[in-house]
Amino acid sequence: MKEVDELKAQLQDLQNKALALFAEAESLKVLQELRVAYLGKKGELTSVLKGVGKLPPEDRPVIGQFVNATKTTLAEALDKAEVLLSDKEKQARIQAERIDITLAGRTTSRGVVHPVQQGLNEMTAIFSQMGFEMAEGPEIEDEFHNFDALNIPAEHPARAMHDTFFFNAEGDADAKLLRTHTSPVQIRAMQACVDAGGEPPLAVVAAGRVYRCDYDVTHSPMFHQVEVFKVDKDVSLAHLKGVLQHFLTAYFEKDVPIRLRPHYFPFTEPSAEVDIGCVFCNHKGCRICKGSGWIEVLGSGMIHPNVLKAVGIDSSVYSGFAFGLGVERLVMLKHGIPDLRLFFENDVRFLRRMGAK
Amino acid sequence: MKIPFSWLKEHCPIEKSPQDVADDLVRLGHEVEGIETPRAGVKGVRVGHIVEMKPHPDADKLKLLKIDLGDVDHLAIVCGATNMVEGDKVPVATVGTCLPNGLKIKKGKIRGEVSFGMCCSEAELGLAEDADGLLILPQDAPVGEEVGEYLGLEEAVFDLDITPNRGDCMSLRGIARDLAADYGLPLIEPGDEVVATDDSVTTPTVGVVASEDCLLYRACRIEGVKVSASPDWLQARLIAAGLRPINGVVDVINYTMLDLGQPMHAFDADTLHGDITVRTAKEGETFTSLEGKEVSLHAEDLVIADDNSVIALAGIMGSEPTGVTEKTTNIVLESAAFRPARISITRRTCGLVSDSSMRFERGVDPGMIALAMDQVAHMIVGLFGGKVSATTTVGDADSLIKDTQIQVNMQRIASRLGIEVPKTADAVLERMGFGIEHQGDTLNFSVPSHRPDVRLAEDISEEYARVIGFDNIPVVMPPLTNIQPSKVDTGITDAVRLGFVQVINYAFISPQEQRLFVAEDAPQDDKDLVLPNPISEAMSVMRRSMFPSLLNTAKYNMNRQQTGVALVEQGRVYAGNMIEHTETNMLAWLMTGDVQQDTWYAKTRKADFFDLKGAVESWLQGRGLTARFMADDDVQGLQAGQTAKIFIGKSVAGYIGKVDGDLADGFDLSDDVFVASINLDVLHAGKKAKFQPIPEFPSIERDLVFLFDKGATSDAILQTVRKACGQHLVNASIFDLYDGEGVPEGKVSLGIRFVLQDGKRTLTQEDSGKAMQAVIDMMVNKFEAELRG
Repeated sequence: MKEVDELKAQLQDLQNKALALFAEAESLKVLQELRVAYLGKKGELTSVLKGVGKLPPEDRPVIGQFVNATKTTLAEALDKAEVLLSDKEKQARIQAERIDITLAGRTTSRGVVHPVQQGLNEMTAIFSQMGFEMAEGPEIEDEFHNFDALNIPAEHPARAMHDTFFFNAEGDADAKLLRTHTSPVQIRAMQACVDAGGEPPLAVVAAGRVYRCDYDVTHSPMFHQVEVFKVDKDVSLAHLKGVLQHFLTAYFEKDVPIRLRPHYFPFTEPSAEVDIGCVFCNHKGCRICKGSGWIEVLGSGMIHPNVLKAVGIDSSVYSGFAFGLGVERLVMLKHGIPDLRLFFENDVRFLRRMGAK
Repeated sequence: MKIPFSWLKEHCPIEKSPQDVADDLVRLGHEVEGIETPRAGVKGVRVGHIVEMKPHPDADKLKLLKIDLGDVDHLAIVCGATNMVEGDKVPVATVGTCLPNGLKIKKGKIRGEVSFGMCCSEAELGLAEDADGLLILPQDAPVGEEVGEYLGLEEAVFDLDITPNRGDCMSLRGIARDLAADYGLPLIEPGDEVVATDDSVTTPTVGVVASEDCLLYRACRIEGVKVSASPDWLQARLIAAGLRPINGVVDVINYTMLDLGQPMHAFDADTLHGDITVRTAKEGETFTSLEGKEVSLHAEDLVIADDNSVIALAGIMGSEPTGVTEKTTNIVLESAAFRPARISITRRTCGLVSDSSMRFERGVDPGMIALAMDQVAHMIVGLFGGKVSATTTVGDADSLIKDTQIQVNMQRIASRLGIEVPKTADAVLERMGFGIEHQGDTLNFSVPSHRPDVRLAEDISEEYARVIGFDNIPVVMPPLTNIQPSKVDTGITDAVRLGFVQVINYAFISPQEQRLFVAEDAPQDDKDLVLPNPISEAMSVMRRSMFPSLLNTAKYNMNRQQTGVALVEQGRVYAGNMIEHTETNMLAWLMTGDVQQDTWYAKTRKADFFDLKGAVESWLQGRGLTARFMADDDVQGLQAGQTAKIFIGKSVAGYIGKVDGDLADGFDLSDDVFVASINLDVLHAGKKAKFQPIPEFPSIERDLVFLFDKGATSDAILQTVRKACGQHLVNASIFDLYDGEGVPEGKVSLGIRFVLQDGKRTLTQEDSGKAMQAVIDMMVNKFEAELRG
């Protein structure tokens, strides 16, 4: 046998053995070892090649081709085996990593904004977008800002409508009280404007806590109001209706019919109470609206000239509208909350439920 | 005010249904609280004749009745009343009837005897507040007739809430006037029958001293009156209108007040001494009201007096000894005009309210003074006999009744309403009694005496708005005047995002709760703002700390199956006195119980100091603020060793700590309770976020572990570390804390992790080595710390 044939046979042998081993390999690691063992610098193929030098020159290219062919075959077989194995291993890993995706997720406990706060935020946002500036005032007020400047002098019967928490005897020169409404902020905002040498237009929204000495199923001694007013030249009752309609539609997130009923407030003239179409029965009449289809939501009107006079604004030049609304009442209507007292019991189950949207 | 429909129809021939009238009243500005239907309310109650009455065999206090209702069979009824006798006629509620008090009549068995209905009292029929025994009907009452019809109960009664400016509508006539004007129907004028005066009866002598407050005073004397109960029809009307019948004379006065709006008063002439004077009270004078209440009077109170004493508080109430009773034969009748503000003040200082004062305070039409007095005299003489004197009048009636003239520009009214005033509105206002004359843009408006509330151009605009109808005013968006930067306060939402539930508590707490976290002040600088008229003792002091209300809320919830709560509240605290006080905006937190419950991935864990501290720190970071926490063992209500002052810069912004265990026990809270508060008013705005490039070169991390003496604070250690490391230090933090096995007694092992970085180059081993060595030296020098392994 010629040397060249012997080498060929040897290579063929090597190839057969290697292919068998590749096929049997069970892991990528084993396969990698086999790659090194056959194709590495010190691998078997290399050692076979060492014999090539002894061949006569004319045989060398022949055997060279043969070696290359073997090398390619082995490399391809290795690649193929590797793909198969890695695929298999990946499948095995995926299988092993299977989880119960229905288990509860890892969470930290969520907080919630109080529904009254939520209502306040929504309302003030609507008015801010309509160009009303936010203002604040003290909760401990004096008679001037809470009553007198709002055209409610001491002997006025309307004072009896406010069950006031007085700190000292009513009528004392500097009697202090807990504000019974947010309307004193109206006075303070207008005063601040006039004192700073300014003049209308003024468009203000003021939100805050107010107090009445009344405590039963439908009354809380502390509750929240939002006060809105605008003073400018030629402000009209029609503008008041425009702002009310926009606000109520935006807040209730639907077209609610509104109705203004003539009423009496000392600080507005004309005055109107505002009803919305009952949100529970869609204006058809139910137990909650006492069959009328209407629910009273707020008091409003054109600012009384005596109020403007009290702060030094000329009522022959300027006019304005104002309204004040009870936040709790609107939140109750929007979310169908049956009892005012729930807001101040602060049961976290209720709060979480309402915070869930 | 209650308005019986049938009575209203006597003033105006209305043909609409009660519901339609109610809707129209609302449109005109009169709030309708309800429409009562007394007759419908007692439907099924019939006139029954007691044909037989026997004692109940098994009950001493019960009677067995046989009742004839005009049906074939007599009805067996068991009855507990005692005021009836055999042969009486009584109201009988038959099976199936629902009484006004909600009681539904069913067939029943009482102590073994079957009962097919119930005999009723006035109270059970809704005719009186309470009653003693059955209502015994007259003998001629027709057996079997519906009692509601027999008694002439009203078909419909409007319950109106009259606004304080409309004194004129505190009467049937006033309401009828508004409706008649609106409907274009006639307003029927009251009868003008006048009793002929009798010169043999002496005219009362009246002196008015306080003429500013008593604008007009009329009085007459009626002699020889036989006071008895007023007729049934009159009593029924009073009851329907919500007034209790008293005696004939008083009932006639009340009836006329309801009818025409003028409150009047009658004195028993034989109890008076000398002349009548209208004056202000003398300091120290007293007065006994008709209700038997004694009040002491002030110098500003307006009174009616005789030569001896005060016989009435003007416009409010007569005195008890001078009141008309069934024994009275001679009376003095008063009809007057008083200044509303004066009545209002006296009503409040004396704490006496009456139907009279309610009307005088709101303003009574002086045009009715004479008319109403004539009607009363006419009715009294007609019903109870007597001779009437000539009338004494003090004051100028004509000027009082005169119309008031106002001149306004129509354009101002149009601009205020946002609509051109339609011509049709004038006709309605004229029917209401206003006089209208247009001269170009000028409106000459004359206001009748019954509308003292209309004095300004704006008042006239309201009258126009009412008759135009608020529904007919257009809806117009006003032009935008100014756009303000949005200043939305996110304080509470930031806190909520950290896992807290927002609560809102009352601003007032109990005096005991006030003392839990705020020590009592020296008496001279008392800073508790106390409410003299609180809802209850538990809500009587303005809170100076947020913590008591939070503890109460925690208690409320922990008693309701919660295993842990994390609460946050934004609100104010109040301190000071009447001369000077403060309101401070606060944010306060409370944590107690489980912060983590058992889950498949974690074990249950209770809240500790660092849970709350982390929340407060995160909240402050969210506003660009960094706080320093300084241990403070001297904060009332909080436990020493687990309490700190919170500093922002140099100012104290708040407190954080563990609530004293005994104090927490007082709120039934068995787990540790942690609270914190931040004074929002001392927080500055914090820095606005500013762009910084992301570092180009990598940072390196190094860890060092030291043994420290216990008591060394991480705050002090990290401050020293920062100094030692120099400019390359980005962050240093405690990553390990251990004092278990292998750590000597009194020592603690702390692991510190350093992050070093340079903006201009990659740091070398040498750089970090130098920094670490500096740290080690400082730790050894300053804390005698020992580097571990």
